[in-house]
Amino acid sequence: MQLVPEAIVFGLVSACVLAIATVGFSLQVGVTNVLNFAYGSTMTVCAFVAYLCNRAGVPIWLAVCVAGGFGAIFSLLLNRGVFRPFDRHGTGVHSAIYVSIGLGLILQYAVDGIWGPDFYVYRQDIGNPVHILGVVVTTTQLVIVGIALGALLATHLLLARTRLGTAMRATAANRQLARTCGIDTDAVADAAWMLSGVLCGVAGVVLAITIFAFTFELGDQFIIVIFAAAVLGGLGQPYGAMLGAVVIGVTSEVAAALIQPEFKEVVAFAILVAVLVIRPQGILGEFVGRRGMVR
Amino acid sequence: MSSAVQFYIATDLVLFGVDLIACWALNLQLRTGVLNFAFIIFQAAGAYTAAILTLGPSSAHGNIQSYIGGMTLPFPLPWVAACACGAAIAVPLGLIVLPRLRGSYEALAFLVMSLIATQLAEALQGVANGPTGLALIPQPLAGVVHLSPLAYTWFYVGLTGAVCVGVYWFVARVTGSPLGRKLRAIHDNEAAAEALGKNVTWARLTVFVAGGALAALSGAVLVGFIGAWSPSSWRYPETFVLATAVIVGGWGNNLGVLIGTAAVPVGFFEITRFFPTFGPPGFIDAVQWMAIGLLILLFLWFRPDGILPEGRHRWRRGRPASAAAPGAPG
Repeated sequence: MQLVPEAIVFGLVSACVLAIATVGFSLQVGVTNVLNFAYGSTMTVCAFVAYLCNRAGVPIWLAVCVAGGFGAIFSLLLNRGVFRPFDRHGTGVHSAIYVSIGLGLILQYAVDGIWGPDFYVYRQDIGNPVHILGVVVTTTQLVIVGIALGALLATHLLLARTRLGTAMRATAANRQLARTCGIDTDAVADAAWMLSGVLCGVAGVVLAITIFAFTFELGDQFIIVIFAAAVLGGLGQPYGAMLGAVVIGVTSEVAAALIQPEFKEVVAFAILVAVLVIRPQGILGEFVGRRGMVR
Repeated sequence: MSSAVQFYIATDLVLFGVDLIACWALNLQLRTGVLNFAFIIFQAAGAYTAAILTLGPSSAHGNIQSYIGGMTLPFPLPWVAACACGAAIAVPLGLIVLPRLRGSYEALAFLVMSLIATQLAEALQGVANGPTGLALIPQPLAGVVHLSPLAYTWFYVGLTGAVCVGVYWFVARVTGSPLGRKLRAIHDNEAAAEALGKNVTWARLTVFVAGGALAALSGAVLVGFIGAWSPSSWRYPETFVLATAVIVGGWGNNLGVLIGTAAVPVGFFEITRFFPTFGPPGFIDAVQWMAIGLLILLFLWFRPDGILPEGRHRWRRGRPASAAAPGAPG
């Protein structure tokens, strides 16, 4: 039983990583209605960009920022170069899912082709142990929690306090109506892709830091957990994504401590299935119901 | 022809048959708009069922692998049981997802289920031998026909071919039947189909269960041939490979799916095996997967209906033309 408080703290740390990634994923799905399977591969690409910077002598926390910036530009290019042309070409929402799967495969295995199947590690301090409420955490973990809270707060302020945030929420709720009101929905979509890219890049590097050694499969192994947290909170709901990430993150670590590590995600996903039966739109899902995702 | 070449060709034919059964089953679901990204777990369920029902009790092999309910049933029964198992697990999974989830939600829910299944199979050591999986699975009818290994392989090609013909007949019957027209209507415009009094949920559940049974059959045929089955055989990206075959061939056309299957899972992965190896180890694999991704993008851009698109449907008075020649394109 002594393990449980430690599992909860550790679960909260992994929930922070998951929350950054899930908010980015869910926000972009909400605004642009494109289910982006390439999100995990983009995380991997960003983690390797940070690796290159890190090897060139850039400190790891600065490399996190570089990866965030790279992620924004990369996601914008994916939208301008692939997703928007396919949308204009008349590719439906279903087929767009396959477009993103294809793109994800190309990106992931391009990383594999360049860096091979080896494990990579950042040059970093492991951090000093700190005692909080009788649980030992490292300073690295505390910085990660700080990054997550900062990123999520910034996202919240952007959505709630700025004109861009209002435009994003309007576009998410009803794209046609938003356009009729004079909102440039294409520009809003670009902004959503970029914001999603920043969070994606930061999440990729932070994830690589927490698991210590990573391969080209970094994002691919994590993407299903992101999907689970996003669906649990309500697809397209940034705040739901935060909630879903905490539920999935904490329950997986507690289940690993109480039952056995192999059941880590099974328990968390079983909660997801139960939620889907009772409330298929997810905990906080509301207006997605009008876009034909849930009946 | 040397026996090595014959072995190679026969093996490829069996794998082609297995993929073909799976792709027809997947297409049955995709053409109704059921985005079954958990498809591969039905193949896995069939493979495990058939394996356990031919292996016999674990003690017969000196308890080197642990699984539940081992039996030694005569030949067609393990395959029939595999179909039943695939259909049986399709019912609860379908009831969770199909009545209320659509589009992105449906795809994500199935994908998450696929991962749950893999993790459960690895965590529950006693059910199907955990991450190591099952091995030493006896080949069906090997004790009855008494053939040399090469002759048996050709015999298995025949067996797989017979199953394929049966599955084609079934799939063509379904797509040419009133149910098939209902499915096409649901795919094109679900709201309209429902407004005309069609029971959408029931139709979707029907194809989900039928597709699950066929997927399980493909797993049973596969495991009888390769003799081993483990969680690494059915990771969720395998579903994407089958879906690529359907996209390339043409989702609206059963013969198109046949061409797609020959082109993607079989042709693609087998032909590249003969390429000279270059680059570091694993480089060819990476290039193959990138090419699969590129293939999806190119087809969705240039030929979204695949190599063989859905033919035009001509209706005769009273009954459709396709009922006279089931599954004929057009």
